[in-house]
Amino acid sequence: MLSRIAESLFWIGRYVERAEDTARILDVHIHHLLEAQLESEAELCGVLLSVMGVKIADMAAEELTARRVVEILAFDTTNPSSIVASLVAARVNARGVSEAISSEMWEALNVTYNTLFTESGHGSAFTPYAFFRFVRERGAVVSGLIDSTMSRDDAWRFMVLGRSLERVDMLARLLAAATVGPEPDWVVLLRSVSAHEAFLRTYRREPEGHLAAQFLLLDRLFPRSAFYSLRSAEECLAELDPRSARVGTQDEGRRVLGRLRTTLEFLRVSDLMSDLPELLPELQRECGAASVAIASRYFRQTNVIEWTVERAEFDVVQPIGL
Amino acid sequence: MTASRLQIDHVSCYNYSGVVHSSYNELRLTPLSTMWQQLLDLRVEVSPRAPIFTYIDYWGSQVHAFDIHAPHEALTVIARSLVESSGQRWEERELGWDAFARDDVKDPFAEFLEPTGCVPADERLSEIGSTLSSAASPSDAAAEAIKWVGESLTYRSGTTGVHTSAIEAWDGGSGVCQDFAHLSLALLRSMGIPARYCSGYVYPDGDNRLGERVAGESHAWVEYWVGDWIAMDPTAGRPVDAGHVLVARGRDYSDVVPLKGIFHGGPTSSMDVEVFLTRLS
Amino acid sequence: MGDLLDSYALAHPHGRPAWDEMFASPGTPRPRTRTLCETLQSLSAGELEARAAQRDRMFRDRGITFQLSGEERPFPLDLIPRLIHEDEWQKLERGVVQRVRALEALLADVYGAGRIFDDGVIPRSLVTSSEHFHRAAWGIEPANGVRVHVAGVDVVRGGDGHFYVLEDNLRCPSGVSYVIENRRMMARIFPELFASHRVAAVDSYPAKLLESLRASAPAGISDPTVVVMTPGVYNSAFFEHSFLARQMGVELVEGRDLACHSGRVYMRTSDGEREVHVIYRRVDDDFLDPLQFRSDSLVGCPGLLNVARAGNVTLANAVGNGVADDKLTYTYIPDVIRYYLAEEPLLRNVATYRLEVPDQLEQVLSRLDELVFKPVSGSGGYGIVIGPEASDEQLEVLRRDITTNPRAWIAQELVALSTAPTWVGDRIAARHLDLRPFAVNDGNDIWVLPGGLTRVALPEGGLVVNSSQGGGSKDTWVTVGAARRRIAASSKSTGQSGVARPNGATSDDRPAAGTPVVVPDPGPNWEDPDRLHQQERQQQQQQQQQRTPFGKDRTGC
Repeated sequence: MLSRIAESLFWIGRYVERAEDTARILDVHIHHLLEAQLESEAELCGVLLSVMGVKIADMAAEELTARRVVEILAFDTTNPSSIVASLVAARVNARGVSEAISSEMWEALNVTYNTLFTESGHGSAFTPYAFFRFVRERGAVVSGLIDSTMSRDDAWRFMVLGRSLERVDMLARLLAAATVGPEPDWVVLLRSVSAHEAFLRTYRREPEGHLAAQFLLLDRLFPRSAFYSLRSAEECLAELDPRSARVGTQDEGRRVLGRLRTTLEFLRVSDLMSDLPELLPELQRECGAASVAIASRYFRQTNVIEWTVERAEFDVVQPIGL
Repeated sequence: MTASRLQIDHVSCYNYSGVVHSSYNELRLTPLSTMWQQLLDLRVEVSPRAPIFTYIDYWGSQVHAFDIHAPHEALTVIARSLVESSGQRWEERELGWDAFARDDVKDPFAEFLEPTGCVPADERLSEIGSTLSSAASPSDAAAEAIKWVGESLTYRSGTTGVHTSAIEAWDGGSGVCQDFAHLSLALLRSMGIPARYCSGYVYPDGDNRLGERVAGESHAWVEYWVGDWIAMDPTAGRPVDAGHVLVARGRDYSDVVPLKGIFHGGPTSSMDVEVFLTRLS
Repeated sequence: MGDLLDSYALAHPHGRPAWDEMFASPGTPRPRTRTLCETLQSLSAGELEARAAQRDRMFRDRGITFQLSGEERPFPLDLIPRLIHEDEWQKLERGVVQRVRALEALLADVYGAGRIFDDGVIPRSLVTSSEHFHRAAWGIEPANGVRVHVAGVDVVRGGDGHFYVLEDNLRCPSGVSYVIENRRMMARIFPELFASHRVAAVDSYPAKLLESLRASAPAGISDPTVVVMTPGVYNSAFFEHSFLARQMGVELVEGRDLACHSGRVYMRTSDGEREVHVIYRRVDDDFLDPLQFRSDSLVGCPGLLNVARAGNVTLANAVGNGVADDKLTYTYIPDVIRYYLAEEPLLRNVATYRLEVPDQLEQVLSRLDELVFKPVSGSGGYGIVIGPEASDEQLEVLRRDITTNPRAWIAQELVALSTAPTWVGDRIAARHLDLRPFAVNDGNDIWVLPGGLTRVALPEGGLVVNSSQGGGSKDTWVTVGAARRRIAASSKSTGQSGVARPNGATSDDRPAAGTPVVVPDPGPNWEDPDRLHQQERQQQQQQQQQRTPFGKDRTGC
């Protein structure tokens, strides 16, 4: 497959997951914010924006409102990680590689985009709640189509690889935001990643912080857990390059992800809560490192090259002696 | 000079201020074989080494094309050729101006009559052309035109560049051999006389011994058609002789660029071209 | 009757009666369109409106749109097909084949021996002064002799019912994807129309194109790798590039995906480099190879021409074809056909005057307000002056222009473009149209896609079939036999992961306002100003490439 297409597929996976997860995170927190005391609203908003990667240093305190947070994280097309920007980016990438994905997938992304821009006029016609639900639904549609309409070939692997990495990164952000400030409502948090029911069936009790974190990070069976997603990503890499070295691994991406997965796998469960403040940034960092490693291995030279014209001889030639 | 055997060493060095990741180049450095000039031997080497693909272009010039993909910070091209020349000759034929107005005469030379980027049409120049052409036969008027160019431009390097047009050079009053050639072409074409650009080398005047390696230059001159092609060196103000080695012909400089290339990476910090001529007989 | 065709009136542009594709005279359909006419009469405006809405929704969902002032609009397909009976079609087809054969011969000669100049049929200066004559393409011998792998010959039907050639397109003629998509759409929204007609299928085009591309592979390559090369997603014909790649099952590459080294061209894949043998390129000549043409091109691949010269890749269509489809050359095509094929042209040219010929100039100057004037250079037909529609001032300016520079213009007789019933939002009315049949040359045979792209000028009386000026298209049916009740066979420097690390995050560090922020990896190419600038230029270049057939002004005059 063309490197450029592989890269686009990887990023479609990431962007769609990012949009969906951002919607999930906002859904929990907007709820939370509306209930909070007025004076703590600014602080909570600041935390949320920081966790989502928005630089708030030059924002005035009165700008830090729930409404503004939704604008920035959901609708702002100039914020590259907002929901709308992610969906636009996913569609632009899909357009460039539409011959490499199923036409259903392309249509799903295209219809999502059309709904945002053509029909409702920039998504703002939605209430936040309806908008987040719409985004989650579209995410589910795309995910479903990835799994049901694409052959398990390299195209599928790059897409799932992107989706899995993004899922880990966003889960770390979700937890980081939740573990700041007042004790979060763990039921809402679990629901936001569609994990509440699975949690109840596993633990048969109402969630507490450490159990919820344990479930989201370490569970081996729940598909949105960090452990599960890391393992999926690793499997994709293993299948992309099935050659295995006798010692260690040649594949830097696989090495980074494998090590991270083992960290989670052999973590002392009782230490989880105290390790969390280090663990969450590590997850994000290592996912970034894996992404870089994957890019340098599979997506080399996908950029446009600008050419410089070599200087011509007569520019410097010395005069002929006359 | 009436006959000669010359060895030409043309060495171009490009230094880059950063790493160049890839580059694509074309050389037009091979002396032509004509009725009066024989190419006896040619060697082209590039460093970093690269396979070279050769072809003959539309104008009849031999092109060496190569691309380099190993990271490099300098590029050297060495072309060594051995040429035997008996001096360009032509037949003096007297053709009237009426012949130059006929489509069947003009059409085969269409390309050498049309303006180009470096040889644009210019009204003031056309006036000078019509003064010359009304006073003399085509071949005399053409000779006058070459003389006029020699009087209108002063040889001075650094005042013009490779993309300077004939008219810009004329307005500036000075230029190098390329500008002399372009201005000659502009004036000749304005009179309806087909004229083409020639690039090559010229053996320097002076008391050089056989076998002595002397510094030379790339050079440019013109050929115009007045019944036969006549080769004149407007910079020196005299006909082309066996000291001139013809490499390529075209409508203007841009058709015969000796080294044309593009690259991706750090800009060129310096460039050095040396030409040495050795007269062997 | 009280039906939708009741008030259908025939058009008389500039006092000349136009041929109507459906009606011989008001109220009297031509025999072969009677069935279609009857079906339409059975429909109400409401039904047509509903189908139009369905059509727009489906086009939009599938992303079959074009850009109009920054907005994506669904592709403007008219609901009513245009019918051409096979008897008539076969004549047109033969004419197109003949023309393409002659144009191939002309290109081979122009980029070769130049026999036609020596024999005085066309002047050499015609070619050497053309901006599309690429000397860099001289000496490139196509493997199977084909330079025109795909041709689009624009024809119009005059008031006399004859087809006239308006223009040849031998570079990157586009629009064929719309032909196929139009047919698919019509089959979905108007199945009952197909029930009463037998229509020649159009969906074999991609297979024919692939066959022709494979046949043009360099010698000795038995299983060539074929790719489609696009300027990129911002090109207005990108949909078509992607469509063709998908339908042929080949890779769609951009210039940046290709690299030439040591005389061969490769595409960069996630699994290393893979050699490419045939490039169906939809990038304009000027942007194709920055070593030979524009060095500032961001959408090309340096070295391509020399790889083609070395015989290791085939570029389709060949570089430099523009010399044979330019407006001045057009005026010589009937002679070109006679010269190479020793046949009389089957399709007529529109009567055209070369203004550098004094007699013709004089005649033209006395008829400024009757003729159509087209600038010779410059593509897209910008600057066309339609005599009968021009003001006195415009004609004065024109008179000065053509007197001072007669070679820069050609003058043509005005052709009253034919019309066909068209749904215009609330009723059916006559609108002018043209036709672009597509021909594919595999070296042995020239195959013409039955039908082609019909473009229609939607504004009343309009002669410009350009979608940015309200142009649309029609599904074009070549009908077989008599109409009968029978189901028809229709058929980025990966933008640094950008993960800034939370400096010295310790166990009691809690993210709060002002703490280091982990920026989500924005993906390739975000925010780097150089890259953004480069992207802008890249987009511009992608847009500058030949556009959809609707991106060009076209008048049928």
